[in-house]
Amino acid sequence: MLAARFAEVVLPHLGDALSLARWLTGNAADAEDVVQEACLKAHAGIAGFAGGNPRAWLLTIVRNASYTWLARNRPRAVVAVGDLADLDNVSPPPDSNADSPEAALIAKANSAAVEAAIARLPEAFRETLVLRDINGLSYREIAAMLGVPQGTVMSRLARARSLLMTDIGGRHHEPA
Amino acid sequence: MSPHENRPREDGLPEDPQDMKLMIHALVDGELDAAAALAVERRIAADPELAAEHARILALRMAVAGVPRPAVSDDFLARIAAIAEVKGSGEVEAAPADAVKAEPSARPQQQQGKVIEMRPTARSLARRFSSFDWRQMAASIVLTAFLASGATQWLMVENAPDSFAVAVANGHRRSLLAATPVDIVSSDRHTVKPWLDGRIGVSPPAPDMAKDGYALLGGRVEVIGDRPMPALVYRHHEHLITLVAAPQQTGGASVPVADDLSAGGFLLVHWTDGAFSYWAISDAERPALDDFVARFRAAAAANPAAGSRG
Repeated sequence: MLAARFAEVVLPHLGDALSLARWLTGNAADAEDVVQEACLKAHAGIAGFAGGNPRAWLLTIVRNASYTWLARNRPRAVVAVGDLADLDNVSPPPDSNADSPEAALIAKANSAAVEAAIARLPEAFRETLVLRDINGLSYREIAAMLGVPQGTVMSRLARARSLLMTDIGGRHHEPA
Repeated sequence: MSPHENRPREDGLPEDPQDMKLMIHALVDGELDAAAALAVERRIAADPELAAEHARILALRMAVAGVPRPAVSDDFLARIAAIAEVKGSGEVEAAPADAVKAEPSARPQQQQGKVIEMRPTARSLARRFSSFDWRQMAASIVLTAFLASGATQWLMVENAPDSFAVAVANGHRRSLLAATPVDIVSSDRHTVKPWLDGRIGVSPPAPDMAKDGYALLGGRVEVIGDRPMPALVYRHHEHLITLVAAPQQTGGASVPVADDLSAGGFLLVHWTDGAFSYWAISDAERPALDDFVARFRAAAAANPAAGSRG
């Protein structure tokens, strides 16, 4: 009964779980450990899953497990809460449409370059971008997961994308 | 910046160019209702600058979507699926025999404790967790059989010191039978306390006593009589300890630990410190429960501000 529920709710989303854990911890081997821990917690808590989006539910557990794991294994990598608030107060970059990269350049970027650029994003922006553009969660789901208003999700997402555009586009202008 | 910036708007969209960009992101993400989406599309069509931003966002989303995802290997999938299978079979089989088998591997790892500095591999983690859970499962099954027997009825009637203690015991028992003993799973008091505060406006001190062998599993809300009360759940080896904290109306005076109590077949310890009247209940041994209470009181006293009556 529980095993069937687990198979139905958790197993289909392991790919998303691994990908989120990978972006939060920074590598694939650690991601497997984190997701395994998260799945143990998910199994223990599956009776409390009241329906809704199983992927968002699992990813919330994965996110918590990732930060627990980071705090335990890489304490210095964890961003303090104060830093997150500061990030939200950072004013947007000057509007530089004149030299901003064109859509075609961005679209042509190879995936290794995109990957590296995502990895360079500040934690809070990366997390929001990954949840939206890689895991496909809605603003509302992300807001609930991060415990921030939807407006904050929107501004973090816009900042994340804007940083990526500059990064990816900028790199195309430089000689490799 | 934009030539349209000062033109009066009639479409209800933001005046601020940065806010307008957020609307374009929302459009791309499918977060706008039909009317708003239409309005944003009209603005994009009329403004080359917004159109360029829209195109860049679309291109970026494509580029990000092209990043390869980590593959779920068959081995990993099997390992995760095994979590449910191992635990699922424990629900139907008579687990005690398997629990005994799990002992030799579980014991040394528990005793090593701090010695394990190396990061355990996923496999060893799985083994440790599953062996732990076998033991807990076995305890629950024995307990269930016991509760289902007439013995419970007798104990309840015989020992019921007051209805509050029985209610605490009932809550503890339900938590043992449930798939998870807590409503919020977290070993972090900074998560548990705000959750309790948010739910019922009250949270007791929730000291971290993992180093003493009492790991904070999480918290839940217990309804006793007609009052919601915060409960913390700690784990001590294979036993769970539920700590119900009833906010004191009068507050103040500390009341020493009460004499041995029991209800519903569980051991109970009751005391009052500061703003809360505490009930600790567990199927652990008496010395372990007493030790827990002593450590909890010391930890809470060391940091009295940690509790809040909301």
